Amino acid sequence: MITVLRYGQLASIAILLCWMLSGCAIISRDVTRTEAYNRFAIKAAEAQLWNEAVFRWKQVISIDPEDSKAHNNLGVAYEALGNIDEAIASYQRAAELKPNNKYYRLNYRRCRIHLRRSGGNDEEALQLDEPPLTE
Amino acid sequence: MKIVRRIGILLGILALCGCSNTVTRVSIPVKVESEIDITRYSNFAVLPFVSEKQVERNEKLPPEVGEEIASVLRRGLARQKHFEVVSTQETARLLTGETVEEDWLSDTKHLSQLGEYFEVKAVIIGSFRFYSDSRPRRYYGERYSVRRQRYVLDYQDYMQKTYLLSLRVMIVDVETEQIVWDESYRRSTAEAHTIGSFIFSQVGPQANTIRELGRRAVAEFTRQISPHYESEDRYLVN
Repeated sequence: MITVLRYGQLASIAILLCWMLSGCAIISRDVTRTEAYNRFAIKAAEAQLWNEAVFRWKQVISIDPEDSKAHNNLGVAYEALGNIDEAIASYQRAAELKPNNKYYRLNYRRCRIHLRRSGGNDEEALQLDEPPLTE
Repeated sequence: MKIVRRIGILLGILALCGCSNTVTRVSIPVKVESEIDITRYSNFAVLPFVSEKQVERNEKLPPEVGEEIASVLRRGLARQKHFEVVSTQETARLLTGETVEEDWLSDTKHLSQLGEYFEVKAVIIGSFRFYSDSRPRRYYGERYSVRRQRYVLDYQDYMQKTYLLSLRVMIVDVETEQIVWDESYRRSTAEAHTIGSFIFSQVGPQANTIRELGRRAVAEFTRQISPHYESEDRYLVN
């Protein structure tokens, strides 16, 4: 009787573990996929293939709209392609999702300074602080 | 027990590594617009540059240097698709009998009349100052001492001769007679001389030096007034 009970407990624990692991696997599959897309897009960006990079980062955002990295990186790609308004919108979204990230703030500030230099009406650009890149 | 603790530390380190973001720096091309209104100032006449006479330290230079600087500027502007420039031959033909003087720089009315004669929207004119400055310098290095069987500190005296070119460039609007651009560009280069080569450099020709410095100064001006691309760094987060 004791043996049956022990096996029963073990079986229930095993079932519970399997259920948890499968749940984790579903979540991690998406995370792995977005990370893979992000890595691939960064490689494409390094090779100056910005349209391909935009496509991948859009895919990441369609899977996880709250992915701040993808929004920031998409902003860089848009800026490289000359779509400044879309770049600013992406940087803004990234900065909203993670306001303390110094790289997002830095990209956003530089983009706005560039917009101002190229004749756009962005007087506030110079008032944004340039975050230090070293801690 | 120790093994369990080690595994725990290892897992902790791995978790921390997984949480951190790595960053990739990429260079992106950003378009920099012209600092003048290129829709308005699309064609220019470039007059020969004049040597500033009041400066005592100005080096003795051949008279054609000003025309050479203007010629380099004409070529630089003619390469830009937004601009049209009156050619060197045409400028020389239209200026026959005239000598560009330093007082022309302040006479915008006369420059405007010349611009109308050239049938252009703006006239580019300027002046230059070229001088050298020599100072004794000491270079510290190491040499191998045979007697001491090791490297010892040693020094060598030399003359450092610095050439400086200050180029002033002005753009005058033909229609309004206003100066729309007035900037100075300073460029320098240095040479190291022994006493012998220093004496030779004092009497030797300097036309090549001024030509090179002029080319660099003119390139900076052309870059400022032409739309162009520059590289800027951005950060991609992994």
